[in-house]
Amino acid sequence: MLLHVVNRSPANSRVYEQALSGMGPDDVLLLIEDGVQGALPQLVRYYAEIEGRLFALREDLEARGLLGRCAESVQVVDVDGFVTLTEEAERTVSWY
Amino acid sequence: MHEHDEPLRDLLVILRHAPHGSSWLKEGLDAALVAAAFGQSVSLLFMGEGVMALMPGQGPGPLEQKGTAATLEMLEMYDIETLLVDAEALSALGLSADELMLDVTPVSTEAISEALSAHCLVLTF
Repeated sequence: MLLHVVNRSPANSRVYEQALSGMGPDDVLLLIEDGVQGALPQLVRYYAEIEGRLFALREDLEARGLLGRCAESVQVVDVDGFVTLTEEAERTVSWY
Repeated sequence: MHEHDEPLRDLLVILRHAPHGSSWLKEGLDAALVAAAFGQSVSLLFMGEGVMALMPGQGPGPLEQKGTAATLEMLEMYDIETLLVDAEALSALGLSADELMLDVTPVSTEAISEALSAHCLVLTF
C-alpha cells in the first residue's frame, strides 16, 4: 500500500487526476494544505473512485474553518494519524 | 511486503512539467542523472504536460536558454532506458508515441500505478 499526498484543491488544479492515475487498488490518499478543499461535499466527487480510501488532515481543515464540513466518506486524521499512515504505507508519494 | 515477483527498481522520477516554462523538468532530469551516475536503476515517467519534453525538434528559448532536449539524448549513456509515457496525456495533446524524440513506452493509467509500486523511491517533479 502506498500513501499518496495531495496539497492542491481539485477546484484549481488537475494534479488530483495524476494522483488518481498513480494509485493502485489498495493505495490511500491524504489531502493536506489547500488539498483539504477536496473533502468538501461539493468537491469530493473528484475522488469518487477511491471512496473509503480518502483522508484529510484535521489541522489543515481546522485552519480553514472546514472541519465539520467534510463529506461523510472522508476520514479525518490529525498529524499523528498522518504519521501512522506513513508507517503503514510501504512508501509515500507527493503530488503538488 | 509487496505483491510483486520482480525485485523493486531503485528510483522512478515522474516528470510532469513542460520544457522552458519552469525549471521543474530540468531538476527532475538532473536528479535522474545523478542517481544513475551513482549506480541506481532509474526509470522515468512522463505525465501530463511532461510529455512535451519528448517533442522532436526542440530548440533554445527566445533568450537562448538551454532546453532539456540535449539532456534527454544523454539518458541512454546513463543506462536510463525505462522511459514510460502517460498514454492519456499523449492523446490529450494529439501526439502519438512514434513521433517522439526517444523510444518510449506508452502506459495506461493502470500501468502507471503499477510502475509506482515497482520502485523503492518515487520522486515527483
